[in-house]
Amino acid sequence: MTSSSQKLIFWTLVGISIITLSMPTIIVLGASVTSGNIIAFPPDGFSLKWYEKIAMARELRLALWRSLIVSTVCVIVSLPVGTVAGIALTRYRLKFVNLINIYLLLPFTVPLIGSGIGMMLVFGEWGILGNVWPVGVACAVINLPFVIWSVSSSAAALDRDLELAAENCGAGRMETFWYVTLPAVMPGVITGGLLMFVLAMTEFLVSLLLTDARTVTLPVQIYNNIRSIITPDLAAISVVFVVIALIAVWLLDRLVGLEIFLKSK
Amino acid sequence: MANFKNGLSRRSVLRAGVAGGGAALLSTLPGTRLLAAEPAKPAEIIVRAWGGEWVDALKAGVSDPFTKMTGIAVRHDLTEDNEIQPKLWAAVAQKRVPPIHVNWDTTTNATKSALRGVTEDLSDLSNLKNTLDLAKPVGLDGYPIVNTYGYVYVLAYRPEAFPDGAPTSWKALLDPKFKGRIALYNDGIGFHFPAQVAGGGKLEDIPGNMDACWKFIQEVKAQEPLLGEDPDFTNWFQNNEIDLACTISTNALAAKKNGVNIAWTVPEEGCKFDTDGLWVPKGLPENELYWAKQYINFAITKDAQQIWCNGLGLPGVVPGLTPPADLVGDPSYPVKPEDFEHLIRISNKVQVENESVWFAKFKEIMQG
Amino acid sequence: MNNPTVDRTRFRYPLRWRVMDSLEEGASLIWPRSLSRHTGWLLLAPALLLVGILVLGLVQIAESSLHTLDTSTYLPSENYTGENYLTIVESATYLRILWRSLLGAALTVVFTLLLAFPYAYILVRTSSALVRKGLLVILFLPFFIGQVVRAYGWLIILGNSGAVNEVLGLVGVEPIRLLFNYPAVIFGLVQYMLPFAVLLLAPALTAIPQEIETAAGSLGANWLQSLWYVVLPMAKPGLIGAGLVVATLSLTDFAMPAMLGGGSQDFIANAIYDQFFRTANQGLGSALALVLVAIGSLIVGLVFMIFGAGTLGMGAKK
Repeated sequence: MTSSSQKLIFWTLVGISIITLSMPTIIVLGASVTSGNIIAFPPDGFSLKWYEKIAMARELRLALWRSLIVSTVCVIVSLPVGTVAGIALTRYRLKFVNLINIYLLLPFTVPLIGSGIGMMLVFGEWGILGNVWPVGVACAVINLPFVIWSVSSSAAALDRDLELAAENCGAGRMETFWYVTLPAVMPGVITGGLLMFVLAMTEFLVSLLLTDARTVTLPVQIYNNIRSIITPDLAAISVVFVVIALIAVWLLDRLVGLEIFLKSK
Repeated sequence: MANFKNGLSRRSVLRAGVAGGGAALLSTLPGTRLLAAEPAKPAEIIVRAWGGEWVDALKAGVSDPFTKMTGIAVRHDLTEDNEIQPKLWAAVAQKRVPPIHVNWDTTTNATKSALRGVTEDLSDLSNLKNTLDLAKPVGLDGYPIVNTYGYVYVLAYRPEAFPDGAPTSWKALLDPKFKGRIALYNDGIGFHFPAQVAGGGKLEDIPGNMDACWKFIQEVKAQEPLLGEDPDFTNWFQNNEIDLACTISTNALAAKKNGVNIAWTVPEEGCKFDTDGLWVPKGLPENELYWAKQYINFAITKDAQQIWCNGLGLPGVVPGLTPPADLVGDPSYPVKPEDFEHLIRISNKVQVENESVWFAKFKEIMQG
Repeated sequence: MNNPTVDRTRFRYPLRWRVMDSLEEGASLIWPRSLSRHTGWLLLAPALLLVGILVLGLVQIAESSLHTLDTSTYLPSENYTGENYLTIVESATYLRILWRSLLGAALTVVFTLLLAFPYAYILVRTSSALVRKGLLVILFLPFFIGQVVRAYGWLIILGNSGAVNEVLGLVGVEPIRLLFNYPAVIFGLVQYMLPFAVLLLAPALTAIPQEIETAAGSLGANWLQSLWYVVLPMAKPGLIGAGLVVATLSLTDFAMPAMLGGGSQDFIANAIYDQFFRTANQGLGSALALVLVAIGSLIVGLVFMIFGAGTLGMGAKK
């Protein structure tokens, strides 16, 4: 960007985005340390009592643990499935590709309530409701397009000739896949994996229909609480989430570098 | 059964507190020998409840004493009443064990489940004979549901907006100065019947002719009302978004407890009076069914009702309860027959049979 | 004569090679090369099966959409009927809500892309690692807070006595109602979709070499021209991909209209919610859900037809 007018316009729009993206976070941060009983901004005095309250709540810790299981299952299921599908869509010539795309976008075109009710009935018939892992599978289904999408965008950037060259040099199909294709799509895989983990961590509508009191996950717990009355402990939970997120992002940056979201190495 | 009822007397509850454990309590009760005839106790039962103050009141009045008495832990499922409904219906249809043992539900919603045949009959609960007529659901055979308290859809208002005292009529909603500052439930629940009166119609005409009701709602629509659910009202009052709302007195009470300046009244046209209740879904194992029913049986004892209903600020279904001090004589806490004169009670059967139509009509007006 | 045993002890291939070779052999056994023209389908199969769970659910929903509700028993009718669909088509309310959802999705796409494009562009093009990391962190944090809590934050910011109105009050402006109207819902959707759109756009922009822009510049194009004639056309697959995700997700959104719309700005998903959970009319709710799926799929199909199937894969090599 060399032109100053371009800089001005772009940075103005980015400024709007930054404010839009971070304002609720700031409000929630502030509201969590209120000493009053209602979420308010600016907060009504300073106190950490709401953090104390959530630290004491065993139910919340259990719900958080189940949410971690759900997110892990979701990533384990969706990442390999979505990765090979993303590669298939970009590297192979397929018939009916329009129909396939419409089909693979069903998780986005079906409203979540429909997905929830439908999977509740299906899982109910299979007799697997009441476990935690089906919730992870459900989250994998409803967010699958994200993985496919991010992997295909990386795969499309890979030159087909590289794979041909590998095979020319005597690499087998597995070797080519493992040493050439997979590294090339790794940024997409990592972006997709992170997205899937986080989206499963915060999904409430479908989970609501697939959990019961013994398998309730954290977002469902939060959602149900919001339905009665919104107290600052919810803000405190959100802040804990944000802190976890910051640590995760920092770790990721130290381990692989944040740039991996943008470029292949 | 008889033994169990003894176990629920006030003295026993107090004694339980001293003994500090269900097992200890039971062994001190007379007639322990009968316990052998009781079905095996589950480790826990799950009771669906509304969160916040609602579940706190239930826990203090019913769940905790029940656990103390029987040793059965009570877990609360905070899924909304209308969101657990399809889960329960699907479980019964697929012949699965339902996800909860006891549903704390609005009588209207519970009536739908009863009509659908997914509720267990509760007629044989021993404590029913001590309850008021209010406990019996209107228009249904037997006791598929036991009503546990009543509540009023009051006209809640911000006193600051009414320096001359409480509004006396629902027509206050039409005052131009409140344009955009009034709120109703998003399905119009609680508002139809007073609107019928305020629009110049007769209650006897429900459901046959409700033109007056729709005319009045049409006028209210021009006032650009906000539409929401229970928590929204609290938020809106709290954040100074609204001055007037048709809402359940409990929400107004909760908001007041949280420091929001709010008052409520029953206008001259009257207010809708309705009930909540408890019921047990079909499909539970025999022993769990037994203990789920015992939970409800306990919930309609005077001791349980006293604490539970006072926590909610609502009138219970057994005679002789002491109302909370700040609600004595409050229009939202009807006790004497004359208190009910201004309250409108329509059979829940009529309500559920016509609800979809009313709902569609309300949406048609409001989404326009 | 060669003695293979001796050879093997003297020389071993690295473990990695042997693992790869055995995998290779295994692969040849399970999936011989003669089948290789079907390899694409093989790789696609798990995804097709996974989404199949959803399709099984849709079949159940389709079945229940063909029964009306009998309000005297609250059971679905015995016989099959198309009455629910007729109800939808004949209802002015549903048509209005449908139109509102479609328009809402379109507006959300436009505004989201307008904001997401410069964000992704600077994210990719900036030479400062600090700026890039800062932008990435700001982008990721909202995901962790969740849609509902974030919408709640906006209720506080934009409320009658919220931060924005307080600032306006300082300059003498009376509090204005910023919430509970259509623009508030659209705003809520845009802020919810923005991170998704940036994440989907960024790889597409990464693939455009900076040199191309420089070349356009050196040939006399100003930045608007090089944006319009060079960058945007090259980023088109990414823009369309991101737009498609934003469109489908906001078309089916439920939380934003419910929380920021004040109850009178329902989208189709809210109407579906009402039928399933409020009036317990699962048949009508199912019918509405299927209509929405059909419309969404139709839009997706049209976009693919117009812009090519490569959109999802951002330019599948043919």
